[in-house]
Amino acid sequence: MEFTILDSIPDLTNFKSFTDRYFSKRYILNVDRIKNNDIMLMFHSNRITLLSLAPSHFFFKKNDNYKINFVIGKIDRLSNSVKGKGKKGGQLLTAKSVICKIEYNDGESFDVPSCMKGTLIEVNEELVKHPKLLKEMPDSNGFIAIILSSIAISEATKSELLSHEDYLKIMTNESSNNEK
Amino acid sequence: MNQKTIFKFCKDLGCCDRCCLRYLGVKIPNAYENSNEYVARFQDEPTSNIKSQEDIQSNENTTSGKDNVIVTDAVTKSDNTCSASVHTDNDSDKDIEGIQDNATGDVDSDNIHNDNMEYKNGILPPTKRRKLHHCVSCLGILQEDTWPDTNLMLKEMLHKKSYECPTFACALSAPIATLLRERAVTLLVREAYPEYDPNTLTPLKEAWKWSYGAQAAAHVGRSLHSGAVSPLLVTVNMEYPHEMQELEILKALSPSLFESRSQQRKRFAVEFTRRAAEQALAGAAAAALRAAGWPAPPEPAAHARCAAVHAAHAPLHLAGRYIKLSRELPQTPWILNGVRMMESSVQEIIFAPIAAAYGLTPEECEHRLKFMSAGREDVDVRCLGDGRPFAVEVTDPRRELTEAELKRVCEDISAGGKVVVREMMYVTREELAELKKGEETKCKTYEALCIKLSHSEHEHDKSPTEPVTVTEQDIANINSYSNTSEPGVRVQLVQRTPIRVLHRRPLLARTRHILQLSAAAVPGQPALLALRVRTSAGTYVKEWVHGELARTAPALQAALRARVDILALDVARVHLDWPRRAHPAPR
Ligand SMILES: [Zn+2]
Repeated sequence: MEFTILDSIPDLTNFKSFTDRYFSKRYILNVDRIKNNDIMLMFHSNRITLLSLAPSHFFFKKNDNYKINFVIGKIDRLSNSVKGKGKKGGQLLTAKSVICKIEYNDGESFDVPSCMKGTLIEVNEELVKHPKLLKEMPDSNGFIAIILSSIAISEATKSELLSHEDYLKIMTNESSNNEK
Repeated sequence: MNQKTIFKFCKDLGCCDRCCLRYLGVKIPNAYENSNEYVARFQDEPTSNIKSQEDIQSNENTTSGKDNVIVTDAVTKSDNTCSASVHTDNDSDKDIEGIQDNATGDVDSDNIHNDNMEYKNGILPPTKRRKLHHCVSCLGILQEDTWPDTNLMLKEMLHKKSYECPTFACALSAPIATLLRERAVTLLVREAYPEYDPNTLTPLKEAWKWSYGAQAAAHVGRSLHSGAVSPLLVTVNMEYPHEMQELEILKALSPSLFESRSQQRKRFAVEFTRRAAEQALAGAAAAALRAAGWPAPPEPAAHARCAAVHAAHAPLHLAGRYIKLSRELPQTPWILNGVRMMESSVQEIIFAPIAAAYGLTPEECEHRLKFMSAGREDVDVRCLGDGRPFAVEVTDPRRELTEAELKRVCEDISAGGKVVVREMMYVTREELAELKKGEETKCKTYEALCIKLSHSEHEHDKSPTEPVTVTEQDIANINSYSNTSEPGVRVQLVQRTPIRVLHRRPLLARTRHILQLSAAAVPGQPALLALRVRTSAGTYVKEWVHGELARTAPALQAALRARVDILALDVARVHLDWPRRAHPAPR
């Protein structure tokens, strides 16, 4: 019996991206009652969560140049560090904690909140050098931060939030309303 | 101070012959095995042709019986009487202890199991019915009259567990009261002979191995070795009925120690640990013992008895290499939040026939079998080629499985079609250490099926809507790619701990190496390519292929110059020659 990797060619019509394979997407719309301030959380089954912007976020409609600033008041999110299996020393986050600011050249800016209680594991440093990633690949290399919370919080948040299917429905309705 | 004096002194205190030798510091195993012969040199006249009666007379002034139960000549009857009497119902002992029988072979055997209390204060007929004398130091543990009971239990235990091991080692768990009594005797000797070195004392457990152990060997039909040599260890637990009340004296010796202890632990039974007793006795003086009511160790009203025998065989290690053919099979049972995620595992498939061969129930399996391997692959990764080295530790095995049985085990493992094991063998602890060490040093070769997701950088002319295809140029780019001049290394990369294991492992960025890398197009699949990759230990290949959100860098994308993802992964070879076969298996 000889086995080779060529035994294992899957059905490519069902191909899923890395994040779609391992994460389940959830959405929060109009955060802080700001229209289209829409956040996307991607939950891994192991209670690790990625924070990013939802495709419906107003950010994607504006074409000005921008920078991503991880210094929030006295806290520098880039200097976050965690030690050991227990991830000790990571910055503690509430749902309101600001992870970064998107700062446009025209002086306008907006905050990206954590939307979830937990420990900050890492922020995406690539965004400092390549801010474009956030616009081009918000659900993969353009993610903003990795957050770890307890199983309980992770599960509770996941079940409270808008599922990917419901999000898509709302988006289709909105776009058809806009067309009218 | 000469040895004869010390010998007599200890004898007068009520010590048995073997204990007298211990206090003299004799460390010759044979002296304890044949103590009757050996002790002659410490006695004033050669004992070989002396009647025990004389022995008794020489001991008439002993302190041992003074305020205790018996003050008759029988008190000081020597050990040989005891052993001789035992033989009446156990002829097999005759050969070993026959030497001792000469003088006192006529003793009534009934006495051994009689309760001594009824022969108080001289009621005992002096010649016919002698009361057994229990050694004031070892509580009878070194005296042959306590041995038949122990032999019986030992035999029973070994029979029950049916070990095939031809050798055994033995260990003694002695009553703590023997420590107290040893200290009492030592202090008295020291008081009488200040130049006596108490450190010379031969430990009870050693003297017991040399005497009881040597005798037990013939009984159980196995040869006695040290625990370092024999894998089969038998522990004999001797209990002394008056242990607890006797140890009360420790409280008098060191009230503070036990006051604090009894506050910690309410239960009387666990109050006197061996350690606590040693602590309490370390500083005790003869005067303190005397003040506590122990001018000399009193003759025990009953001897220590064998309460339990425990037998355990050192673990055996079965070794082999497993081939994993399923992409839906974890290496070990995968249980998430108490819920089983996959119905089986490599471990369970390998355990089942081993458990059957050893006759283990599923519950026993959990405690008695332990799975070890040189790393692991993900649930959805196959492990092909020669497979991955693994070992199964069998706790307290009764025997080694035969060649034929091992062959059967392999066949049973492989019959299910998910796991194949071609050969299994027993390995030593040293070899096992190589398996564990190999986990950190071994290289692995993988085969990966990848999908190209975007046009390559050099394909400017292609429109975004055109299908993505793997070109000869792409294959050439990968096959010529290197980012380091380090000898033997094609790619040097830095990997952050992958998100999929980040919840249970520290977040670190580690430098890893790809040692060999080659790509090939996949016939009939224009977007796919097959990679063969040899990596250093600890490289996460899936993450290197897709880059894991740029958390591994550089990723395969840097070589292909296009976005790429992984569809399937196989371990093609684990570069660790283990277990090494004595004769290479035909392939
Ligand atoms: Zn003794």
